[in-house]
Amino acid sequence: MSDDVRYPSEKPEHPYFDSSFSGMLLGTLVSRFCGGCGYGSIGQLYTRVFEDEKLDPKLYPLVIGIGCYSQIFFLVHKNAQKMLTLHGRAPAVATGMKMANPKMKPIIFSGDGDCLGIGGNHFIHLCRRNLDCILFIFNNSIYGMTGGQAAPTTLYGAMSTTTPYKMFEPRSDGVELALAAGASYVARTTVAHPRTLMKYFKKALKHKGTSVIEVITPCVTYFGRKNLDNLGSKGEKGEIMDTGGKMFEWIKKNSIHINQAKFMSKEELFNKYIIGEFRYDPSKSEYSEEYKKIQNIAMKGD
Amino acid sequence: MSNVNGKRFLKPGKYLMMGNVAMAEGALSSGLKFFGGYPITPSTEVIEHLAKRLPEVGGCCMQMEDELASINAVMGASLVGAKAMTATSGPGLSLMTETISMAANIEIPFVFCDVQRCGPGTGFVTVPHHNDIGLTRFAGNGEFEVIAFAPMSCQELFDLTITAFNYAETYRCPIFILSDAYLGHIHEVVNIPPKEEILKRVIDRTIPKDTKGAKFTYEDIKTHKLTIPKPYIVGTEFCPPLIIHLPHNQDGILMPEENSLRFMKIMIDKIRDNIDKISLTEEYKLDDAEIIIISYGLPVRASYRAVDLARKKGIKVGIFRLITVWPFPKEKVKQVVAGAKAIIVPEMNYTGVIAEQVERVTDLNIPVIKVPKVATLHHPDDILKAIEEVAK
Repeated sequence: MSDDVRYPSEKPEHPYFDSSFSGMLLGTLVSRFCGGCGYGSIGQLYTRVFEDEKLDPKLYPLVIGIGCYSQIFFLVHKNAQKMLTLHGRAPAVATGMKMANPKMKPIIFSGDGDCLGIGGNHFIHLCRRNLDCILFIFNNSIYGMTGGQAAPTTLYGAMSTTTPYKMFEPRSDGVELALAAGASYVARTTVAHPRTLMKYFKKALKHKGTSVIEVITPCVTYFGRKNLDNLGSKGEKGEIMDTGGKMFEWIKKNSIHINQAKFMSKEELFNKYIIGEFRYDPSKSEYSEEYKKIQNIAMKGD
Repeated sequence: MSNVNGKRFLKPGKYLMMGNVAMAEGALSSGLKFFGGYPITPSTEVIEHLAKRLPEVGGCCMQMEDELASINAVMGASLVGAKAMTATSGPGLSLMTETISMAANIEIPFVFCDVQRCGPGTGFVTVPHHNDIGLTRFAGNGEFEVIAFAPMSCQELFDLTITAFNYAETYRCPIFILSDAYLGHIHEVVNIPPKEEILKRVIDRTIPKDTKGAKFTYEDIKTHKLTIPKPYIVGTEFCPPLIIHLPHNQDGILMPEENSLRFMKIMIDKIRDNIDKISLTEEYKLDDAEIIIISYGLPVRASYRAVDLARKKGIKVGIFRLITVWPFPKEKVKQVVAGAKAIIVPEMNYTGVIAEQVERVTDLNIPVIKVPKVATLHHPDDILKAIEEVAK
């Protein structure tokens, strides 16, 4: 295959080509993600919402943690002020930004290893303070960037390079954690439901308080290729999820809406993702507003 | 403090202040707007004082969940243009190093106060030990230069904190204030100058008037000389579209491999080329001195007395004091020690980090004598003994 065929010289027809950072920087749409990865769609959806809602880039800085999705900056809106932070520390950086400039509403991109593994503490305390920001947790249930190690969210029975026999640890649940810690808007959706993702994102933009949106995304290269769609459970015939399509189907099949899940038993919900909105509480006090009250008290005193 | 008028500046006059409080007031005077901290003895008075004072000036003092969060919040606040600072001790510093190297790489100014204590873990928290001197120089991975101040009195803690903030704005590298458990807790008279005098000294965070064209560039377009640009501010026009903690080019955005060497050169040389401007030193009776004491921080105070006592006995001895420990003023020290009979380096650590630096730049035939003390102060007699032994 010649290079001309793989990289056509004419400008690709893409509705958000002109808005993307790579379109501006390199003149072509660059994605560094593997085939079947969900991060491309997420970058695209972010750009779409950014464009639709006409977000002011000065007020909505994008704080990106470390993981495969760090490369998402090529796809997100060119005007968005993006910064790459350290592994797991994105919520803490966003806290500093928000408190130093309370007009801002930071948008945090974070992964499952990033937010529930190394940065779990910052995640809990961000939710506890109910700081006005949006936190996306991209959950592909694997450490993709380092080559497919087990994540805290890896499903029971799954294979990874550090669990070569099978995953035996119970998984951590970002939504449960956010609910317990006190985030005021908590939702989970998947890349297979892009319109829902946009809906939740737009709702979070209008919400004042911590919005935690967990997004289930497929990793074909390190999760799908090595796992059967029944995750190795005995007695069932499984199929290797080695294409993006198969993984999307698996995600759809494995996701159960919250209304449906109410009528299901614990065993039935084992290794499943419950999607939907878990909490929407606009009445909960927001941290920077509370601090404003403290400032007023302090300024009044002698 | 009854004289606090709810504003950024204290009323001019003399105050009896604790070292940690003097430093906090110095920071407020230079326009501190965000403090992120985690309680750790012996630096707790800083966060306690600022928790009260920062809301009064419209700033924010946050007690974060851990040191990692506090330093990252400080970085975030500094990114959006607030003067930011944190205070901690040795164990906190070692946790923060990862972010320090990142902040150095994206050249975000912030001031970092290290109230040193003895030992890791619970340690001896109320006694001083200058054991972080080496750590501050090599804090974090990656290549960068740092600036570290070593004050020796509460007045200096106030004054040097203002200088530290100015250096942070100018040189855009991590700035350390190396205090210690005794200096932080000592109560001394601090003379607060009038507001106008302080304001004259302070460099504010501003965006350049013309934000187009020469954005974030190191190269002066007319003369092609390297300059240090003003720090960018997220949430304004003056901000690159991508802030990345990798070697970036002159425009402050990208990371092509061919730029890495040039980037490292900028990171290191911006300090090394300006070492004459950065380095602050003090000389005491050096003109005819044969024996030279090189020191920093609290041991200098004992050294003054020791020198006076030795001079009475007819020994020609003087002090060369490092106010900025890092970058180490190599050329200046070379000039000072040329022809000396011996060099005495009283330090509050056994390794002798600065003694090693002095050895590095002096002739092999000049003996460098360490006077180590750990967890306690130098008595003038300790230093006098060393002087007398050399003078024999």
